[in-house]
Amino acid sequence: MRGFLEIFKLEAMSLVRSKAFAMLLAFSVAWVVAMACVATGDGTAEGSREVFVRYSLGGVFYLLVVALLSSATGSLASERAANRLQLAMVRPVRYFHIALAKAAALTACGAVVLVVSAVAVCFRTGVSERCSHVLKPAMPSPREEAEAMYKTYMADPNTPAAVRHASKGVVLRLLANRAIDRYDTVGTNETATWRFPLQDVAGESALGAGLAVRARFTNRFDMRDEVRGVFRTGGLCGVASNITQAVVKVPLGGSAPAGEELSFQNLGASALMFRPRRDVELLVPADAFLMNLARALMELVAILALVVSFGVFLSASLGRPVALFVAMVVLVVAEMSPSVVEQYPDELETKASDRIGLVMTRFIEKVTRPVSSLNPIERLATDSCVEAREVADVIALDFVAVPVLLALVSAFVMPRKQE
Amino acid sequence: MDSGKNIVELRNVSRTFRDFWLRPTVKAVDGLTLDVRPGEVFGLLGPNGSGKSTTIKMILGLLRPSGGEVSLFGLSPRSVEARRRLGYLPELSYLHPFLTARETLMYYAGLCGLGRSEARKRTSQLLEMVGLEEAASRVVAGFSKGMSRRVALAASLVGRPDLLVLDEPTSGLDPVSTKEVKTLIKALSAGGMTILMTSHLLADAEDVCDRVMILNHGKSVAEGRVADLGTSLEEFFLAKVGDIEHFRLAPFLSQES
Repeated sequence: MRGFLEIFKLEAMSLVRSKAFAMLLAFSVAWVVAMACVATGDGTAEGSREVFVRYSLGGVFYLLVVALLSSATGSLASERAANRLQLAMVRPVRYFHIALAKAAALTACGAVVLVVSAVAVCFRTGVSERCSHVLKPAMPSPREEAEAMYKTYMADPNTPAAVRHASKGVVLRLLANRAIDRYDTVGTNETATWRFPLQDVAGESALGAGLAVRARFTNRFDMRDEVRGVFRTGGLCGVASNITQAVVKVPLGGSAPAGEELSFQNLGASALMFRPRRDVELLVPADAFLMNLARALMELVAILALVVSFGVFLSASLGRPVALFVAMVVLVVAEMSPSVVEQYPDELETKASDRIGLVMTRFIEKVTRPVSSLNPIERLATDSCVEAREVADVIALDFVAVPVLLALVSAFVMPRKQE
Repeated sequence: MDSGKNIVELRNVSRTFRDFWLRPTVKAVDGLTLDVRPGEVFGLLGPNGSGKSTTIKMILGLLRPSGGEVSLFGLSPRSVEARRRLGYLPELSYLHPFLTARETLMYYAGLCGLGRSEARKRTSQLLEMVGLEEAASRVVAGFSKGMSRRVALAASLVGRPDLLVLDEPTSGLDPVSTKEVKTLIKALSAGGMTILMTSHLLADAEDVCDRVMILNHGKSVAEGRVADLGTSLEEFFLAKVGDIEHFRLAPFLSQES
C-alpha cells in the first residue's frame, strides 16, 4: 500500500511541478468566468442558468477529458521510454498498484479541477434552486415491444420476404428504434393516459406539492400549432396552453394527492402527438441544486476515472504516440457514434461497403453507451435530479470495477511491453 | 553447487530477441549457467554486446528467459518477495527530474515499504554517505552526472537490500568518487551484502570483485576467483576475448596519414 501511495504522490507531483495542473485549473476557472459573462440563454433566469451550467461545466469537463487522457497515455509509456519504469518494477511493488496509482492520481487532479470549477459555478447560479426527479411513463422496454412486434410481423403472411429473411437481431434493433420513436395521437377532446411509478421516488406521502409535467407536443406535419389541454393526475391538474415543437413545463395544482396515472385531454382544434418514451415526463420535487451538483460531480469524477484508466491501459500496452492516437480516435468515435447509429438505423438499406464502418461504430457505441448516456451536466442544467441510486451504480462500475479491471490487465501487459 | 545457498542462480539460460513477426533476430544469451553466492562481489564482464545487460535484466525480472531458469533467493525474480531484497543501480541514473534528491530517496524508500520515519532517517543517512546533504533540497534536473550517479547509488541502497546489482557503478564518476564507490562496495560486502556488478573498467573490477565471469557472444568464456587468475584481469580478459574488433582503424589511419 505504501508503494501505491508513493506512486500516487509522484504522479500528482509531476502534474503539479510541470505546471500542467496549475494551467488546467486556471483555464477552467477562466472558462467558467467567461461563460458567466457570455451565456445569456433565452432571457429568462431559468434559461440563462441552463445555458451557463451546460457550457461552463461542460467545457471544463471536455477539457479535462482531453487533458487527462493525454496525460494518462503518457503515464507509463513515457516512464518506460525514459527507463524510469524499470526502476519501479524492480522494487517490491505490485505492477497492479503502479497502474492503479497512476490512474488514481490523475483522477484526483481532475476531481480537484472539477470541484473548483463547480464552486465557481455556484457563485453565479446560487445553491438553493430545487431540482426534480424526472419520471418517464411506465411502459414495456423498447426491446420487449420490438419482440412483440416481431412476432406479429412473422405471423403476418403479408410481411415482405426481405424482412422475413433478414437477421433477427437487425430487425429487432430497427423495431426497438421504432418503439422509442412511436407516436401516440390524441384527437380533439380525446384523452391519453400514462402510468407513472410515482411511489418509487416520492414515497407514500406528499404526492401533491410541486409536481409538474414536462412535455413536448407535435402534430402530423411537424408544424407550429396551438396547444390547449389539461393534464390531470389524481386530484391535481394543470392547463397546457402553448405551441407545438416546444418543451413546456406545466405545474400541477390542487389539494388532493397525485394518482398513479397522468392523463392529457386535448381541448384544442387539431390532433396532437406525443412520443411517450421521449416527450412526456413527470417532475417530482427533489433536493437543492447544491446536492444535485455534488451528485453530478461524483458521476463526472467516476467517468474521468474510467477515461483515465483506459488511457493508462493504452499506455501500458503501446508507445506514447500510438496510445495517444488510439485514445483520441476512440474518444471522437465514441462521441460521434450515437448520432451515426441514429442516422443510419436501417442496415438493410446500406451498401455492403458501409457495413464494416457501421459495425465498428455500433460496437463502440454499444460499449460506451453506459457512459455516454449518463450526461449528468445536461440534467444538472435542466434541474433534473441526478439520482443517488444511479450515482452509486456509476461509482461501482466506472470508478471501481472497470479501473481495477483495466489496472489488472495493464499489470499483465506491463512486464511484457517492458521486454 | 549448493543451490540452497546461492543468491542468484541461472541454469542454462538463453534469451533470443525476436522481431515483430516473431522471427529470431539475435541470441543475446546462450546457455548461461551462473551462481552468485552470499556475501561475495561477483563481476560480470565482457565486451559490448556480450549479453551482460540482458543477463542483468533477466536476473532483475525485467526480461523473461527464452529458455532455462533464473532464480533470485530461490524465488522467481518477478515475485514481490524477491524484489523486496533487491537493490539496483542502472547504467544511467534515470532520476525523476522534478524531484529533489531527498524526495527521490523518500520515493524509493516508500516503494521499498519503509515507514515514514524510518524512510526519513535512512534518507538522511544515505544523503550524508554520498555527500549530498547540502544539495538534498535541490531538484535533480540541475545535478551534474556525478551527483545524479551518487543519488542513484543511494537510491539503490535505500531498502537495505541483500543483493545489490550494480550496472557500471563507476560510470560518470571522477577518480575520487570512483575510489569512494569502490571503498563502499568493499564495505558493503564486508557487511554481508551480496553484490553483482558489471563493469568495462577491468581495473575497478579487479579491485573489488571476488569472482568474475567473462561473457562473449552471450556465452561464458571464463569464470573464476580473481585471486586465482595468476595474471592481471586485463591480460586475462584480452586472452579470452581478444579476437573481437569493434573498430576498423587501419584503413582509416592510413588514409589520414
